[in-house]
Amino acid sequence: MPETSAPTAAKTLRTGPGRLLVAVYGVFALAATARGSYQLATRFDEAPAAYALSLFAGIVYLVAAVGLARAGRTSRRVALVSCAVEMAGVLVVGTASVFWPSVFPEDTVWSGFGSGYLFIPLVLPALGLWWILRVHRMDRD
Amino acid sequence: MVDWLTMTIQMVSLAMAGWCLVSTFRDRPMVVPHLVGMGVLWLLVLGQVGASVAAMVGGDRPAETAMYVSYLATVALLPPACAVWGFMERSKWGPAVIAFACLILPVLFVRLEQLWSPVA
Repeated sequence: MPETSAPTAAKTLRTGPGRLLVAVYGVFALAATARGSYQLATRFDEAPAAYALSLFAGIVYLVAAVGLARAGRTSRRVALVSCAVEMAGVLVVGTASVFWPSVFPEDTVWSGFGSGYLFIPLVLPALGLWWILRVHRMDRD
Repeated sequence: MVDWLTMTIQMVSLAMAGWCLVSTFRDRPMVVPHLVGMGVLWLLVLGQVGASVAAMVGGDRPAETAMYVSYLATVALLPPACAVWGFMERSKWGPAVIAFACLILPVLFVRLEQLWSPVA
């Protein structure tokens, strides 16, 4: 019964643990976007790539937060993709910053697997993916 | 910035966080007293924001004004936004949202104080 299951799933994505997840994502998106744009605006010459990456990360967190909060079928897909991008980002940039520190002279949100941010950037997409896939499974059953 | 107000906000915020964590672990939803507590906390925060804006208008500005103002806007919006978002949820996850907000609010105030009067 696809007609009734769609609104149920839409509600579940932003209720329960999803409620807290949206709050954490929202705050983190704000922090990363603000920091990235501030650094780009004031110290662009020092490390444009690193600061642009921080801003990009912030925007991805923002998209994920909105996707989780809106919680329709399409937004769930959007949230899923942005969480996957975050996961890939923190893993790739984290690894790169450990093995080739010269590539990222300035810290980004994802450097050292997010160690500058209490490893929240590493934990958050994992929780996000777990929650979205859980709701997805409940929806399908 | 008014020092004692910052201290009070941090204490009240941590107390709210503790209370909400207890509610979460006892599997209770958010109730009106939680909301009143958040209202009191918000008033204190707005008082500090007002005092800081008044000081800045008076010419007493931190070195990184733009950064400071963005933090100020965040602390002013965080309590009401999270209170509404948490109150909409009728399960234990409502107080969990408030607890999260009340745990990061003191940290934001530490940053505000650092920006206002840098130690180094």
